[in-house]
Amino acid sequence: MNAATVIAVIVTAAILFFAARYIYKEKKKGKACIGCPYADSCPRHRQSETACCGSIEQHKADLR
Amino acid sequence: MRIAFAGNPNSGKTTMYNALTGRNEKIGNWGGVTVGSKEFQLKKEFAGDKEVIAVDLPGAYSMSPFTPEEGITSEYVRTANPDAIVNIVDATNLSRSLFFTTQLLELGIPVVVALNKTDINEKEGTKIDAKKLSAKLNCPVFETVSTENKGLAEMIDKAISLAGTSQTAPYLQADIDLHDKNAVDAEDRKRYSFVNGIVSEVETRKTLSAETTSADKLDGVLTNPVAGILVFALVMWGVFWVSQAWLGPLVADWLVGWIETFQGWVAGQLENSPAILSALLADGIVGGVGAVVGFLPLVMVMYFLIALLEDCGYMARVSAVMDPIFKRVGLSGKSVIPVVIGTGCGIPAIMACRTIRDERERRATSMLTTFIPCGAKIPVIALFAGAFFNGAGWVSTLSYFMGLLLIFLGALLIKGITGYKYRKSFFIMELPKWKAPSLKFAFRSMMERAKAYIIKAATIILICNTVVQIMQTFDWHFQVVEEGAENTSILASIASPFAILLIPLGFGVWQLAAAAITGFIAKENVVGTLAVVYALTSFIDTEELAMTGGANTVAATMGLTSVTALAYLFFNLYTPPCFAAIGAMNSEMKSRGWLWGAIGLQLGTGYTIAFLVNQFGTLFTEGHLAAGFVPGLIAVLCMVAAVVLIGRKVRAHFDEQYQLHKASKAAKATA
Repeated sequence: MNAATVIAVIVTAAILFFAARYIYKEKKKGKACIGCPYADSCPRHRQSETACCGSIEQHKADLR
Repeated sequence: MRIAFAGNPNSGKTTMYNALTGRNEKIGNWGGVTVGSKEFQLKKEFAGDKEVIAVDLPGAYSMSPFTPEEGITSEYVRTANPDAIVNIVDATNLSRSLFFTTQLLELGIPVVVALNKTDINEKEGTKIDAKKLSAKLNCPVFETVSTENKGLAEMIDKAISLAGTSQTAPYLQADIDLHDKNAVDAEDRKRYSFVNGIVSEVETRKTLSAETTSADKLDGVLTNPVAGILVFALVMWGVFWVSQAWLGPLVADWLVGWIETFQGWVAGQLENSPAILSALLADGIVGGVGAVVGFLPLVMVMYFLIALLEDCGYMARVSAVMDPIFKRVGLSGKSVIPVVIGTGCGIPAIMACRTIRDERERRATSMLTTFIPCGAKIPVIALFAGAFFNGAGWVSTLSYFMGLLLIFLGALLIKGITGYKYRKSFFIMELPKWKAPSLKFAFRSMMERAKAYIIKAATIILICNTVVQIMQTFDWHFQVVEEGAENTSILASIASPFAILLIPLGFGVWQLAAAAITGFIAKENVVGTLAVVYALTSFIDTEELAMTGGANTVAATMGLTSVTALAYLFFNLYTPPCFAAIGAMNSEMKSRGWLWGAIGLQLGTGYTIAFLVNQFGTLFTEGHLAAGFVPGLIAVLCMVAAVVLIGRKVRAHFDEQYQLHKASKAAKATA
């Protein structure tokens, strides 16, 4: 196995690893669309947090 | 500490929120861009050492919600007890804005009024006496310009200092029966006369709103039912021509040159390495991702132009001109907004449907809005337009107007199925003032989209292309597929059954079927997968600004004619969107029946359109019908039968549900 092959294997593995890790992390954050600049503010992403009553309930709890 | 930002639609709340928090939330020069609440900590330069959370709320005209997103605002300020409210008032339309202000002042929470867009007032010669207004409203009033950060620091300082104090209302609603419509109307009129009294004392206008200005005359043309649509068609053609036939490919030329060189270099370095490694890295990762990234300039130019159109206020005029047509086919006038947003991305477009009050109209709009090709479909359109139609701008224009036509036809179909009758409804949308579009805003919007595109290409598309490359390289025994035996690969064996179904559409080969399937993960995948399965490393020829090797070579490689290429393009554009958008539809429709109906309608539409284009196109160009006409016709007839049956079933339940006469209901049931 020559040096180019070893480097290529490492580079390919690293690229795939980081791509998969990025997708996993984004999905874990609840983002539906990877890379979308408005994913944080997307009502779908925020539905469970603030779009309707989530934040109000949270704030009421904070006040209590 | 929480400070809520509330005000009328398009008063500049989100622009102010972005300036104060450093966030980059979507803004637009029309009402209804923000449909959910957002919160984030204020920047240190505004909040100092204090922890202050800014809450951006959707626009509302009053505390009595008319649409779901107005309900969010009303509920928040009423029940979440923010420490202070910043009421953003559009200084160019004071009398309309202060109605909501006087309601907010009644809540007892300290209010600070931000007289926003005062720069426009200066240009128009309108003067507002802020001190006098402050005295009339019993609350501090600051002149602000969100886009220039003017007056924001003083305003937010005041809001922080007032947090937790009480507020005295200048006008108190009388103790009326809120169920009595007449009493409520009378009370609203009293409030309006109070507001108008204040406005007449504090505001002096150079141009009265009753006068007809040149902008009004322009609006008259642009919102005319005939001229408005013609102008819209011309504008969109210009956008597509510049982005996909002129400037876009010109920039793409340079980018593709770099990608090609890099790919050649990678392949050269791996000359002595195992073939599978070269295929995976040079062809799958660099080639596949490079093929998608090669279209980036086209996408960027298009987003730049759309952002300019949005910012100058033209898109709001488009909404007004489309309104009567949308209402005629059973949708809401507000359905125009999701459709326009859908040119960028289907997910926020589907979410924007929640501004539509009527449930049936809301569901129908979210079902149909993805017929408008989103940004992810631009590479697919550009690829086929470039390869088979010499980059003609009409392919893109046709794709978008075909999308609009399908929305109208789909709406009529849904109207027929649900037994909906036309009723008069009102769509009130404020036409924002014309303004010179901000190049900075358009550039930022374009760069954000470009970043998203690159991230998507480097993650989802990259992984998909790698998987496709592996599935194409190996057979089920994990042996490398020999040259000439590609049909034995894992990918071929999975895609082949689907390919059979596509024979009547003119593209019944496993490679094209595989590309269409991966498109459901992300539509850009269609281009990436085609690059991998046909080993076409770059689609844009740097010399000819056309498909590599010219249209004939590509046609030979893909086995497509111009007609079948158009059928394949339409199939990819009008079948269901990506899974993420389907998920958005699910959460918005809140009904399994409607969701499956939407998926079925989109599958049926994409299949039928591709079938008609292929069969009639072949008949027209070659004088005979294409292969698989009879099975294709049977499939289309089955879909029609399914629609008829569903319609009958829905209307039968409708009768059961609303039949008043019990005897007749029982008799019907027995019969």
